[in-house]
Amino acid sequence: MTDETSETSGTGKRSRRSFLAGAGATSVVAVAGCMSGGGDGPSGTIDASGSNTVAPITDWAGENFENEYPDVLVDVAPEGTGAGFQEFCRGNSAVQSASREITDDEVGLCEENDVEYGFLEVGLDGLSVVKNSENDWVDEITLDELRQVWEFESDVETWSDVRSEWPDEDIQLHARDDASGTFDYFTEAINGEMGNIRDDYSATSQTNEIMNAVAGNEHGFGWGGLGYLRDIEDDEPIEAVPVESDEDGEFYLPEQENIEEGLYSPLARPLFAYINLASLEEEPDLIGSFARFYVNNQHEFARDEGFYATTDEAQAENHDKIDEWLEQVGADPDEITVQRE
Amino acid sequence: MSTQTDDTPFTGIDLDWEHRKNRIFLGIIVAASMFGVVMLALLLLDVATDFYRGQTEFGISLVDFFTRDGSRREELAGFRGAIVASIMLMLFTAILAFFVGVGSAIYLEEYAPDNRITRLIEANLANLAGVPSIVYGLLALAAFVNGVGMGPILLAGAIALALLVMPIIIVSTQEALRAVPDGMRNGSYATGATKWQTIRQVVLPAAMPGIMTGTILALARAIGETAPLIMVGALFTNRIALGPFDRFSAMPTQIYNWAAEPSQHFIHLAATGIVVLLTFMFVMNGIAIYLRNKYERDL
Repeated sequence: MTDETSETSGTGKRSRRSFLAGAGATSVVAVAGCMSGGGDGPSGTIDASGSNTVAPITDWAGENFENEYPDVLVDVAPEGTGAGFQEFCRGNSAVQSASREITDDEVGLCEENDVEYGFLEVGLDGLSVVKNSENDWVDEITLDELRQVWEFESDVETWSDVRSEWPDEDIQLHARDDASGTFDYFTEAINGEMGNIRDDYSATSQTNEIMNAVAGNEHGFGWGGLGYLRDIEDDEPIEAVPVESDEDGEFYLPEQENIEEGLYSPLARPLFAYINLASLEEEPDLIGSFARFYVNNQHEFARDEGFYATTDEAQAENHDKIDEWLEQVGADPDEITVQRE
Repeated sequence: MSTQTDDTPFTGIDLDWEHRKNRIFLGIIVAASMFGVVMLALLLLDVATDFYRGQTEFGISLVDFFTRDGSRREELAGFRGAIVASIMLMLFTAILAFFVGVGSAIYLEEYAPDNRITRLIEANLANLAGVPSIVYGLLALAAFVNGVGMGPILLAGAIALALLVMPIIIVSTQEALRAVPDGMRNGSYATGATKWQTIRQVVLPAAMPGIMTGTILALARAIGETAPLIMVGALFTNRIALGPFDRFSAMPTQIYNWAAEPSQHFIHLAATGIVVLLTFMFVMNGIAIYLRNKYERDL
């Protein structure tokens, strides 16, 4: 497991309610259909591998797809982005969830095994920079200051090392260790290079621990997946710090509209689903329908699982890609059971 | 015997201290033996509290819990698919492990000559019983899931569990066969019965309660095994498994999934699942103990 655990947050509760009735009703039909084994539309098993951050979205998409088409089984194995690509690039899975883009090594592995693929952008995840609520001096932080604090061999020991008007007290730093995709993303986005980080902070694989540590210490400072902050910010003395945007230089909190409009950048990262084109060629209706079903509802699925929706343009682009792949493997995009909405 | 010794022997010994040492030692060993009991009680208390909180604070309905399958939505998630899969797993594990296990135990006890090969087999069995369960999972993954190309289906899980419990079944069957007095065998031979007739009609019936007890205890261990099933790939399947060739998620893997979720509702679903799993194990152990007590004095 080289990735962070799944995250949920308060968002999506409203859309969730409306979904319950439908999902509950179709599940009865689903079991009945499964036993009879008949029915129209796609059937078969879709193997999905990948990130345990993104897997909940794919799993939720799969569950809804199964309810819609009872002869389908979507089997999602959340082994982590890296481990998942090892499976995907050996042709063992049709869909791969990823919390980062494919690396050069993995591209090589895919080429070695003649696995052709394409990717869809299915959602956005936010990284929060957090401080204790007692901390009344940090109202905002620039990207330069963040880098100063976190870069390799950083000489920042006290708050006043960052800004002279801040108190002359030690900063207590808490963050993820190098086993996570979140770590990879933060170090690349802030310090300019994956894995570049000071070595004297308190590192953990549990985002919960980071949040609890910062909530328990006035001088605590750290970062982690937004879902974990949302889980405890109402009950514990912890809050997000507005971070400078590389879009317009203003400071933004990691809130839904800021993330979905692309203003909370660079600390919002895209989440991907990779599709194996050989699987699509083998079963164009099954895989094609699932991909379209996923993209048709991608905003809702992402928000239901505590993440953020991509732009509508990204969604439209996903649909264009699916059409393109279908043509590439010799299937007629209009013949697929699920059509784009 | 020195004449210089005092008239009263043992004066150099502080009797009070010796008695105190006696009591301290007793206290330590009683504490040591209570340790396991206390830990088990704490564990059960923790599970029971979480189960109770799940029922009251999170409104987990047992009816829904037993009639729904897994789901990403905590309000819709239930345990039925996992229970059905676990029962089927036990069934296929029992079929696969019982005949091979009992067969090899009969050979080793009744037929095999006491030579180097027999001792080698027995040493191997003893070692197999000590192999960590995840290794059996890896074996099943490499040989059956990927090697034969079965995929992560219920039968592959049953094979992994059958391999895991087979040494236990063999050893307990051997013990049950050894407990049958030789007089019964000799009596049977005296009537002119062949070896197979003796085994089938005298030895096996006498040993059967012991064999059943061992088998049920082995299955009770298998039903709680998580690691081999995770290796086989029994994760995140929301559907109910209808046959040995379906994908599945058994009780322990479903609990594992739920416990890894950040939401408290899932954590309490996991606690409810643990209560169900423990109930299964207690019932199976209870049956084993009942069988043992019922037939104990018949021999």
